[in-house]
Amino acid sequence: MNSEIEKTVEFRIHRFDPKEKRRYVSTFKVPVRKGMTLLDALMYIKDNFDESLAFRHSCRMGICGSCGIMVNGKPMLACYTQVLHLNVDTLTLEPLQNMPVIKDLVVDLEPFFGTYRKIKNVLIKSEETFKKPEEFIQMPSELKKFWDLTLCTKCSICYSACPAAIDERFLGPSTLATNYRFITDSRDEGSNERLKTIAENVWLCTSCNSCTLFCPKEVDSSSSIVNERSLIVETGVIPRTVMEVLNNIFKYHNPMGRYQTKRMEWAQGLNVKTFPETAKAEVLYFVCCLTAYDPRHQEIAKSMASVFSTLGVDFASLGAEEWCCGDHMLRLGERGLFETLAEHNLSMFQKFETEKIVTLSPHCYNTFNNDKPYSDAGLNVQHYTQFVAEAMDQGKLKPTKPFSQRVVYHDPCFLGKRNEIYEAPRRILEAINGLELVEMRRTRENSFCCGGGAGRVWTEDAPPEKRPCISRVKEALELGVQIIATSCPFCVSLLDDATKVLEVEDKIKVKDVVEILKETM
Amino acid sequence: MVKLMEKLTHDIVIVGAGIAGLRAAIAAAETSSNLDIAVVSKVYPVRSHSVCAQGGTAAVLREGDSYDLHAWDTVKGSDFLADQDVVEFFVRKAPEEIIVLEHWGCPWSRTDDGKINQRPFGGHSFPRACFAADMTGFHEMHTLYGKAGEYGNIKFYDEWFVTSIIVENNIVAGLTAIELRTGRMQVFRAKAVIMATGGYARIYEFTTFSHTATGDGMAMAYRAGVPLKDMEFIQFHPTGMVPSGILITGGARGEGGYLINAKGERFMKHYAPEKMELAPRDIVSRAETTEIMEGRGIDGPYGAYIALDLRHLGEEKINERLPLIRDVAIKLSGVDPVKEPIPIRPAAHYSMGGIHANIKTETPVAGFYAAGECACHNVHGANRLGTNSTSDCLVFGAVAGEEAAKYALSNGFREIPQEKLAAEERRVFDEILGSEGDERVPIIRNEMRRIMSQRVWIFRKGDELQNALKEIRTLKERFKNIRVEDKGEAFNTGLVAALQLDFTLDLAEVTIASALARTESRGAHTRLDYPKRDDENWLKHTLAYYTKEGPRLEYIPVTITKWPPTARKY
Repeated sequence: MNSEIEKTVEFRIHRFDPKEKRRYVSTFKVPVRKGMTLLDALMYIKDNFDESLAFRHSCRMGICGSCGIMVNGKPMLACYTQVLHLNVDTLTLEPLQNMPVIKDLVVDLEPFFGTYRKIKNVLIKSEETFKKPEEFIQMPSELKKFWDLTLCTKCSICYSACPAAIDERFLGPSTLATNYRFITDSRDEGSNERLKTIAENVWLCTSCNSCTLFCPKEVDSSSSIVNERSLIVETGVIPRTVMEVLNNIFKYHNPMGRYQTKRMEWAQGLNVKTFPETAKAEVLYFVCCLTAYDPRHQEIAKSMASVFSTLGVDFASLGAEEWCCGDHMLRLGERGLFETLAEHNLSMFQKFETEKIVTLSPHCYNTFNNDKPYSDAGLNVQHYTQFVAEAMDQGKLKPTKPFSQRVVYHDPCFLGKRNEIYEAPRRILEAINGLELVEMRRTRENSFCCGGGAGRVWTEDAPPEKRPCISRVKEALELGVQIIATSCPFCVSLLDDATKVLEVEDKIKVKDVVEILKETM
Repeated sequence: MVKLMEKLTHDIVIVGAGIAGLRAAIAAAETSSNLDIAVVSKVYPVRSHSVCAQGGTAAVLREGDSYDLHAWDTVKGSDFLADQDVVEFFVRKAPEEIIVLEHWGCPWSRTDDGKINQRPFGGHSFPRACFAADMTGFHEMHTLYGKAGEYGNIKFYDEWFVTSIIVENNIVAGLTAIELRTGRMQVFRAKAVIMATGGYARIYEFTTFSHTATGDGMAMAYRAGVPLKDMEFIQFHPTGMVPSGILITGGARGEGGYLINAKGERFMKHYAPEKMELAPRDIVSRAETTEIMEGRGIDGPYGAYIALDLRHLGEEKINERLPLIRDVAIKLSGVDPVKEPIPIRPAAHYSMGGIHANIKTETPVAGFYAAGECACHNVHGANRLGTNSTSDCLVFGAVAGEEAAKYALSNGFREIPQEKLAAEERRVFDEILGSEGDERVPIIRNEMRRIMSQRVWIFRKGDELQNALKEIRTLKERFKNIRVEDKGEAFNTGLVAALQLDFTLDLAEVTIASALARTESRGAHTRLDYPKRDDENWLKHTLAYYTKEGPRLEYIPVTITKWPPTARKY
């Protein structure tokens, strides 16, 4: 009673022999039938080719959470994915990440389940209420508020994909989502206690969104964490490092605590037009705080200005009226402050007549497009890589100078994972003569966060080996590249730091794509 | 290759961490904080098969329903093989369990006025299935796991595979288990042991069951001298999704879904004109099979099937009440139930039989208790009603925890004789792992499943059962010549598969022997050669005792309190 064999798929399985402590790869050719899941294929391999292959499985219907594995770099449940749907002839299967491997595809789940033991997974109410032998009343609308968060199967896929989870202080996406599930449960009275449990470590999340993207049950852990932060911010009991950032924004409108009057220092000698003197331009260039103030990053801002000039684009900046976009505030849970910044920037956008806004940072780009009130304003926003790639496509820009370097591109989460912009930066790099572009093991939608998102670039206090950027630079080093290119100021900043911590800054440089472009024009 | 075993000691050891096991652990911990409790499971608790329970949990909560009505439905559903005193106890305890789960945080689906919602279900004459969408077992499990984590005196041994129960002079002394991570066998000493290892429907090919549901606990109890009861009664669920067998909840029919044959007809009108699709499972599964056998199944690439049509429920209701099965049908069967009917067929689903245990979950061995599907307390008789199994796990899980706690508080530890440990080590490491034969686990396992699916399915016949018994015994012989390819220690899933197969072969043998002996048709056990229920000769429970030559069968009477057997019509 089997359907016909549709094709043969090669399975390359990364294995680990615990006795010999040996890593190796086994290759199996599996005849694939319609409807066959990855788990069916693994069982076929075990039954027909190699009985010693170890993997976990049980329900085969996506509810027990046993069979999480990495499939071509992406974590998923083997039983919930059909082989033919992946549309490939070769599959690389690896164990989940962030947990030690016991054998083959079986990882040690203790670090993951250990995080659950740190929170309370039952309702918190007064003893008296529990004595009544009757149900609590909960309206369907109240249930709806947390229902989606109850669907977590504890499969550990989010934990595996989480850059913050390399630091064991962090409770991980699913545990934090479960914590928030109880906070939002109308029957629960334990919010204070629940917030206290996470108040120290919830800030390690970078809002990279991997957890939410890869969750087989579509549990939005990423937003839950932001919501928990909001509640903690309301209590006012927050770590000093976070408090400093919020204070800086509150007082100075940028997270670095610098005077807005100095915001155009990066453009000294460049003759960049600014508001209010200029209130109309083809392009409004939104620079971002880090690139405006930090000397290393000012180079990025300058490079883009120079690209605009080469293209003959009429551009201008908001100058001292460009306030922080607020992305980090929003994701640190300070929605009020975010709204203040947004209202200011939006009022400036209203006063400024332009065709489009071009941002240097994926964070400004994302928040302008996706977060209210910005997203309600119908702004025409482009990330600079989109703008440049478009100009190249139209033949307006062509890098001429050769650049004989081996370069790897690191996808910023807010450009890639959140906005699916993977091609534009690569198209720019590929257009450069002599530049050899290679890819990291974890790339595009499977990319690994630099660790700077959601304000962590300002609050980092983890020891070096627990910082995502270190892991990322090590990954690049394996490729023997001279340059890590990226297109986000925060990525540049953290990856740069990592090369210094690792003492490899002579071997490998971190550059923004626009810096490389400028060098080759 | 006798290795020195380490000894672990706990007052109570619970084997299995599904709904029954976790509920037992909580009840024992509640009974006394002085008790040291261990929960040993071959999987992490939330991986247990209980998470697959979908439709609901039966309990009398509302005006219009009554304990007597729930009990009568259960007794009638059981085809009068249930012990009525146990059923009456069971229905009275079920509502308490719904409320404790509610208090611990279970996200029950709600009525418009904020109360726990209940849906209709097959064989129940009142909508009494409390549900959490179509993930009831999943939510009960996560709620129980959360609660169990609150007790300092419950220790979890996750991914430990229990291999045997040690009984001395009819008193439990402990058990042996392999820590999968290291591959080491260790011995647990315990005053009391609770078996809560679930069912064994994986002896069949087409089943709703998780791959791990291999009935280990039943087989271990059997080998330790505890009889298995009513093992001929296997429930076939009417709606196993084609081709995988994945469960499509009875709640889909509870919410109003239709069963349709190739003629586009709601054929249940011929079999249960009153209850239609909401007749008990044995009746619906027989009806579907009859339709298919008589040529009214719908042709498909995986053989004839029946259509489960939900389209008239509308997208909104499907999303609210049946979100999991919609997702599963789309992802794994390529069918969106909002737009197309789901292809289904009867699938092996539940074992009414199990470890012989009484109303207090006690087995004939002192200190040894059983709860959940692995046990048989005579609640379900010859056919279980949908949503009574999760109630059973909760009610009798709690009873087992309390009873084992009481026992452990007033009894001591027993000595475990060294020779028993040595014998178990020999069995596992020499006779199975060390065996250098030429038989392979997947081949024997597939053979077993084929035999069970072809000859011990919904309609049974004496000669076919006889044949099946012979073939299973041949497989048992062949198993002695097994070879496990993986000789490693850490996480040896090849060894686990062999141990499970060894257990299931015993259970298959008991199932067939019990079915062969019962020359009547009752509930889920249908003999084409004995098509009528025979209360005169067969209103009794089967007990199967282990002997080297195969099961020895004995019988005990059914307890009737209020409801003498009558004709069963729906």
